Amino acid sequence: MNAFAVDRFDAPASPSPEPGRSAAAPIYVVCSPNRQVGKTMVARLLAEHYAADARPFAAFDLSDEAPGLADFLTHHVTIPSIRDIRGQMRFFDGLIESGNVTKVIDLSHREFANFFTIVDKIGLFEEARRRAIEPLILFLIDSSPIAAKAYGLLRRRFVGTSLLPVRNLTVAKGLPYGASFPHASRLMASLEIATLGPAARAVVEREKFSFLHLNKQGWPYSDMSPRTRAEIEAWFRRARFQFREIELSLIREQILTALHSDLRALTVR
Amino acid sequence: MPIPAVILVGADKGGVGKTTVSRTLLDYFAARKITARAFDTECPKGTLKRFHPGITEVVDVTSVPDQMKIFDTVESSGTQVTLIDIKAGLMTPTLEALRDIGFIDMTKRGDLAFAVFHILGPSIASLDEIAETSKFLLDARYFLVKNFINNTTFFDWDEGTYNSYFNKIPHAVEIVVPKLSEMACEKVEVSAVPFATFIADKTASGQPAGYSFVLRGYVRHWLNGVFAEYDRVRLTEILDSQDAKPRPSAKVAELSPQRASS
Repeated sequence: MNAFAVDRFDAPASPSPEPGRSAAAPIYVVCSPNRQVGKTMVARLLAEHYAADARPFAAFDLSDEAPGLADFLTHHVTIPSIRDIRGQMRFFDGLIESGNVTKVIDLSHREFANFFTIVDKIGLFEEARRRAIEPLILFLIDSSPIAAKAYGLLRRRFVGTSLLPVRNLTVAKGLPYGASFPHASRLMASLEIATLGPAARAVVEREKFSFLHLNKQGWPYSDMSPRTRAEIEAWFRRARFQFREIELSLIREQILTALHSDLRALTVR
Repeated sequence: MPIPAVILVGADKGGVGKTTVSRTLLDYFAARKITARAFDTECPKGTLKRFHPGITEVVDVTSVPDQMKIFDTVESSGTQVTLIDIKAGLMTPTLEALRDIGFIDMTKRGDLAFAVFHILGPSIASLDEIAETSKFLLDARYFLVKNFINNTTFFDWDEGTYNSYFNKIPHAVEIVVPKLSEMACEKVEVSAVPFATFIADKTASGQPAGYSFVLRGYVRHWLNGVFAEYDRVRLTEILDSQDAKPRPSAKVAELSPQRASS
């Protein structure tokens, strides 16, 4: 028997990053077991948030229905398949390989169970954290029992992984987080997507619309009133502000983890 | 006080996964810090030796000198477990030889522990093998292994017929080896390393291998399932002498991906 095979089983089961690993960009999984709750919109906002800062990101459209992420961010989105093992290798191996690129996954309600079953089997989140990549599950809440049940399952199955309930006020206004969607993350952040007026909503749902090109003249921006434009800008800013809060919270956690690690090392000496 | 154990892994049919099960057993014992050595009876080429070269020796189990090499050294070898991967067709002759040399009588006295892993094939012939094999094993631990690793379907079996065979051997215990993705299985084969080493993303020489994380994940998940079966049947208890207290069941969660790079 090779010695390292034995050693491997002896090591502590810590999800902490390996020593010397600097904090890497996060993986966002935007999901819900239900359709029409705003998953793709949140994924778009996130992706464009990174694009607006010219920070590297990769977006993945696992939505398998139109309009998906790929219909809006045509140049930045990959459409992977996780139905067979070759596709899974391409997708999941890639997710954890390039740690300096933020990943945004728009997960279809149809792929929800399959995706998380695979993630659980292969230990994706544990491996990501070992590589100092923080996985964040952004779960769009709604009033259906299936959403509450799925949220509870994720919470139990992925203990230690940040599971953030996302309240899209268009579908979840007045819905209490309560016992159904308790905050399950070390991150001191939450996410709420405000309601857009009908005119603004109609514009942002146009194919190839980008929040970064609001001042462009041609389609899909041409018939937009200044008021609608201002509403969309404010809406995008508000979403970005919350994303920054999440990022700040992530950095805070990473620094705290590093401090604890240093403290432990000092105590041992 | 642990007693040395001899484990036979065999079947009279080929291609049912004897070596695969042997490999999982060696990984299991290593994970539980139980020292083991192995004999590969695929003479002269060897199959098990490809995966566990450091502890495996290729032998001709039908030759007396090699039988001496195995059985005369069970207690003196310093290892707790002696595992023998029996080549197809040699299961019954080996058991006959063990009976003839008095080995089976020794196990009756409790000086040694003896267990047989009988890997079942999908055909009805396997059931006849059970009857044939079990007559040698009244005082041994007898494990009937249904191996689904390659998605085997036990198509020939009528559940009632199987149970009638199974019930005739009150001490027989069934173990199920779950299916593993074909590609993952193939990749480990090509890599020629133990499953645990593959999961740890190492080559045979201990260097980082760069295997697919997805495949490693599937193998880890699968091996956890196999280990859970071995824990369920309290495999490590075969090493305990009769007056020993039962060992605590090992936790399968000890095999986690985080340890791979530790």
